[in-house]
Amino acid sequence: MITGRRSPRLVSRMAPHLVPHLAMARTALITLLSHYRRHPGQLAMLLVGLWVASALWSGVQAINASARDSYARAEALLSPRLERLERRDGAPLGYADFTTLRRAGLPVSPLIEGTIELNDGQRLNVLGIEPLSLPAGGIGEDRRTGNGGEDGANPLGLLQPPGQTRLAPETLATLNFSPGERPITAGGERLPPLVIDAQLPPGTLLVDIARAAELLKRGPRIDTLLLAPGTPAALPAAYRRTPAAQGLSPGQLTESFHLNLTAMGLLALVVGLLIVHAALGLALEQRLGLLRTLRALGVPGRTLVALLAVELVLLGLAGTLPGILAGLWLANILLPDVAASLEALFSASVGASLSLPWHFWAGSLAITLGGLATAGLGMLWRTARLDILALGHALSSHADSRRRQRRQAGLATLAWVFALGLWAWPAPSGTPSLIAGFAMVALALAGSALALPVLLGAALEGLKRCLGGNSPRTALIRWALADLQLQLPRLQLAMMALLLALATNLGVTGMVGGFRLTFLDWLDQRLVADLYLRPPPAAYDSWRDWLETRPEIATLLERRETDTRLIGAEGERPVALQGISADPALTASWPLLATLNADRAAAWQSLREGAALINEQLAIATGLAPGDMLTLASPSGPFTAQVAGIYPDYGNPRGEVTLTVERLIQRFAAKPGSMGLVLTPGLAAADEAALRQRLTRPLPASGEALAPSLVDQRSVHRQARQVFERTFAVTRALTGLTLGVAALALFTGLLAQARERRARLAPLWALGLGRTTLLGVTLAQLGGLALATALLALPLGVALNWALVAEINVAAFGWRLPLHVFPAAWVQALGLAVLVALLAAALPAWRLWRAPPRQLLEEFSAS
Amino acid sequence: MNRRSTIRRLFTRLPRWKRMLLAGLMLALVLGLVLSLALLAWPTRHSTPPAAQASNGGFAGLGRAAEGFTQARPGQVLRFPEDHGAHPGFRTEWWYLTANLHDEQGRPLGVQWTLFRQALAPPLAPRGTSEAAGMTNPWASNQLWMAHAAVSQGEEHVVAERLSRGSPDGLAGPAGVRAAPFAAWVDDWQLTGTVPSALSSTADALSQLSVSATLDEATRYRLTLTAKGPLVAHGEAGFSQKAADGQGSFYYSQPFYQAEGEVTLNGETHRVSGRAWLDREWSSQLLGEAQQGWDWLSLHLADGSKLMAFRLRGGAADEGNAQDDSADYLSGSLISTDGILTPLGPTELSLTPLAESSVAGRRLPTRWRLEVPGQGLDLTIAARNPNRWMTTQVPYWEGAVTVAGPDGRPRGEGYLEMTGY
Repeated sequence: MITGRRSPRLVSRMAPHLVPHLAMARTALITLLSHYRRHPGQLAMLLVGLWVASALWSGVQAINASARDSYARAEALLSPRLERLERRDGAPLGYADFTTLRRAGLPVSPLIEGTIELNDGQRLNVLGIEPLSLPAGGIGEDRRTGNGGEDGANPLGLLQPPGQTRLAPETLATLNFSPGERPITAGGERLPPLVIDAQLPPGTLLVDIARAAELLKRGPRIDTLLLAPGTPAALPAAYRRTPAAQGLSPGQLTESFHLNLTAMGLLALVVGLLIVHAALGLALEQRLGLLRTLRALGVPGRTLVALLAVELVLLGLAGTLPGILAGLWLANILLPDVAASLEALFSASVGASLSLPWHFWAGSLAITLGGLATAGLGMLWRTARLDILALGHALSSHADSRRRQRRQAGLATLAWVFALGLWAWPAPSGTPSLIAGFAMVALALAGSALALPVLLGAALEGLKRCLGGNSPRTALIRWALADLQLQLPRLQLAMMALLLALATNLGVTGMVGGFRLTFLDWLDQRLVADLYLRPPPAAYDSWRDWLETRPEIATLLERRETDTRLIGAEGERPVALQGISADPALTASWPLLATLNADRAAAWQSLREGAALINEQLAIATGLAPGDMLTLASPSGPFTAQVAGIYPDYGNPRGEVTLTVERLIQRFAAKPGSMGLVLTPGLAAADEAALRQRLTRPLPASGEALAPSLVDQRSVHRQARQVFERTFAVTRALTGLTLGVAALALFTGLLAQARERRARLAPLWALGLGRTTLLGVTLAQLGGLALATALLALPLGVALNWALVAEINVAAFGWRLPLHVFPAAWVQALGLAVLVALLAAALPAWRLWRAPPRQLLEEFSAS
Repeated sequence: MNRRSTIRRLFTRLPRWKRMLLAGLMLALVLGLVLSLALLAWPTRHSTPPAAQASNGGFAGLGRAAEGFTQARPGQVLRFPEDHGAHPGFRTEWWYLTANLHDEQGRPLGVQWTLFRQALAPPLAPRGTSEAAGMTNPWASNQLWMAHAAVSQGEEHVVAERLSRGSPDGLAGPAGVRAAPFAAWVDDWQLTGTVPSALSSTADALSQLSVSATLDEATRYRLTLTAKGPLVAHGEAGFSQKAADGQGSFYYSQPFYQAEGEVTLNGETHRVSGRAWLDREWSSQLLGEAQQGWDWLSLHLADGSKLMAFRLRGGAADEGNAQDDSADYLSGSLISTDGILTPLGPTELSLTPLAESSVAGRRLPTRWRLEVPGQGLDLTIAARNPNRWMTTQVPYWEGAVTVAGPDGRPRGEGYLEMTGY
């Protein structure tokens, strides 16, 4: 403060002519800011709006940025540019294949992938690499050569006994070990010493292939052979390249998931900025007199605009910075759920702790400040065009607001026309359909929000006309309606926020609720077996033979999976292939969306005879319909089959073709998979327990040392349900928060105009109306307005629900859901809207109630 | 204290709104500061202190102590063909072929094919964390194979490297050496014995070889090597002392190869012929603790005799009579045309750098004087081109040299290797 006092003198020595200007600017700024001293409510509204908007937006962005960082590391771990080799005969690859190809001069490198369990029950992915043969750039150049590795990345580090277990810092944090320690697996083996490697994705342990082969009990078998990109085309005849598209990167798979999140974040940002916009408009309107006075006193218009811009920046920083911190806090809470659902849906490992690049901070700040700038530009524009002589006129005259309403109506119509246009005419090819879907939803929402004040105004006008008679009661009602019309410009932004939040809430609740119903039904239909058994591959046949003799088991449902390519006219695409036992036990309930001639039984019969079923994702992606022919690549040449039907396949990111399990064995050399066991009806509990017990031990006859893994239907059900709940926990949290923001907007809006309201109500009080009546009128006005908004939000919510299930979900995940409508949710939304409005009105009403008569009388002396 | 109370007094004197504004600004400032600090701190969050550097142990760790490995000691008789194969009990071993060739136009062309074996752990150490029950793990190996190939002519110098882990006993892996019938390979690079089976009982397995390597798409070679003389054992019947304290290696050579074949260098194919030299050496601690590296020469002299000489830099002086300047350990062999080897002790030869060149950011002696007074030899050795740096994981200099007498007349050619610079 002491130096601050001296500074004018310092400045005066440097540039004498600047001093009066600076002093004036300072005084003017202080004068402008003094407005917020008199209206702390407005300041709070501004800051809260900014805070909330930036918190929700940056929270969502933090989640996205963290997830993308994890994907980037996963992709850097094994560059998608690396090609993968497989044997033409479909046999698993082994050490001999590696040797053969290396000796033929091909720079191949083996890879083992698997999961191990530590002795504390924690499961981790293990990646076994051969560091010496790995192509350059395959696993980060410096990890291979050891050049400049700060983590002691020695080329031989992995190889040199006792080797290394490399892991991401996040993984280490969850393990409760320190670097250099050697965790013990559930099988009692010691891992090589832990070494931190920040480039690794979370949840993955990188070890030498020899250690991985031991830990995963692989012997000479490997999972794949990597080949450096650009290796000459010729391969020995027994091998071929696995189609590169097979390994869709997690980043690509999860793009739609993150786009969904971003859209939610954007909505929250818009709702928050609506508050800011309202507050800024109010602050300007109430300072018009002050601005004119300042102009009249000689402050140049440009200086005034600059000062208001400075004010905006100060407010922006003060609101945004704590907002970003709150966003981080929010992201920290939500990230574990997001990570879990990404893992379950897309098998994409995401660290459960935040890891943010620098551009996250810059981006969050820029977006919020940019939003503030758009909200504040109008204010600056109006200040710049301020008419000094237009003394005393309120800026928004009746004619003005009429004009504005007409403009809004025009814009709203335009937005709706565009939205409908997007729906009717699909976007030009090349635009991701998901973006088009979101654009449609955004336009519809914006159009509705813009139309809201117009519609509300028209409704008020209509109501006023309808009121006949001249009783004191109707007079009061007419006054209340007219007064509400006057309040409307001030409340419209808060009402827009409420509309958006309610509609989103309804739409998302409807979508999630509908999805839950469909999904749980579907789970029940698909999970017909009581127990699911996965025997060790080598003992698969012995297990099947043994199980077929068991009286406890009514039906044995075999299932195998493999990967192949769908050969289409415009190229090949990777698909998952599954083989099922087309047993009536399964086919009776297995859901089908579409079949040839709508004949379920015929579809199953043709599957048994060699036709194929495809999942909805594949049908939508390729346009295949029942009756079409499809061609799959198989080890023994192209395999052609008719599409007999389309089945729903929720939660699966990939396209899938289903054949009978026999065909999968004959034509695709599919490895042994799992078996579903339908127990004999009426099986005694003790027998069932004994069977379960038996199924968790190795089969003695086979000489196999490994036990099969057994899962029962209930736990599959539970797991699926958990995935489901976690996936939508974030969505629900965000819609809830958005609704909260809308309530806040309404509340602050009312708070900001409380004083003005008193001036309006004072004459009525003076005319003899009791405070109770006045209070009732105020609450009825707001409650009614909120109710009307909520009623308008209902159709919008249903439309949004429809857009989500029929457009967005199809584009994002590849499945269409039936539209479920939940009237209970509507009632809830209506009640919620009224409650929010009444709560928001409560404090100003309370103040009015408590205002002493003197204050009410003062309203007359003031004006 | 005084100053602080002044500030407080000023602050309290401000009107309430100014105080609020000031406090708000301060808050924004503090938050901004915290944020920017967090930003600064973020990138270093994951960084860990660099791991302690392992002790250097001379060039490529060849001077590290060798507990658990077999030590090279004098008095052991070399046995063939067994000793052509690998010696896993020793830590380091190599099959080292250099060829001074000439193309159709008589232009000199150099070829190198080298296979190194390095044990990552003593043979008795446990191989993995444990042996899975009843399952062999072909990946578990303590042996590291490293192959270097180079083709050089004029300014051109193409270098390639292949690495591989060892293969399990009884399984042919991507890299290894077999004593009989002789074969050494890494991937598709190989050095193979081509002695007809009818002669295999009488002729040495290394007397006829075929060597090939593909360095990149445009550079490869395939040569046939025919020995015109016997194998020669250096030092004391194959034990070559490398330091004054008795440290040493087993070392024998086949310096008499006649080489023929085809070399494609950067897309241009040449028919070549010339002379080649194969070195076989194995030990567990090649360098003394204090030795930094070596300079090694293999020369085909014009009169048909061969000369091998090396200088190990540092560590030769005993502690009693430490003389800083003469701390190098020198040794060599003079091999007559019929394969009679005369060992040259540390005092019987001298090797003096005459001129240095700047190569790959280092200063290296590329002109030498080699004197063997007892044999009347005074030779000047010069690199054909100083640009022969091997950009391999363990980098060194390896290139063809010319030999001239004191009168400046050509006296032969050969190869020079310089490590530890």
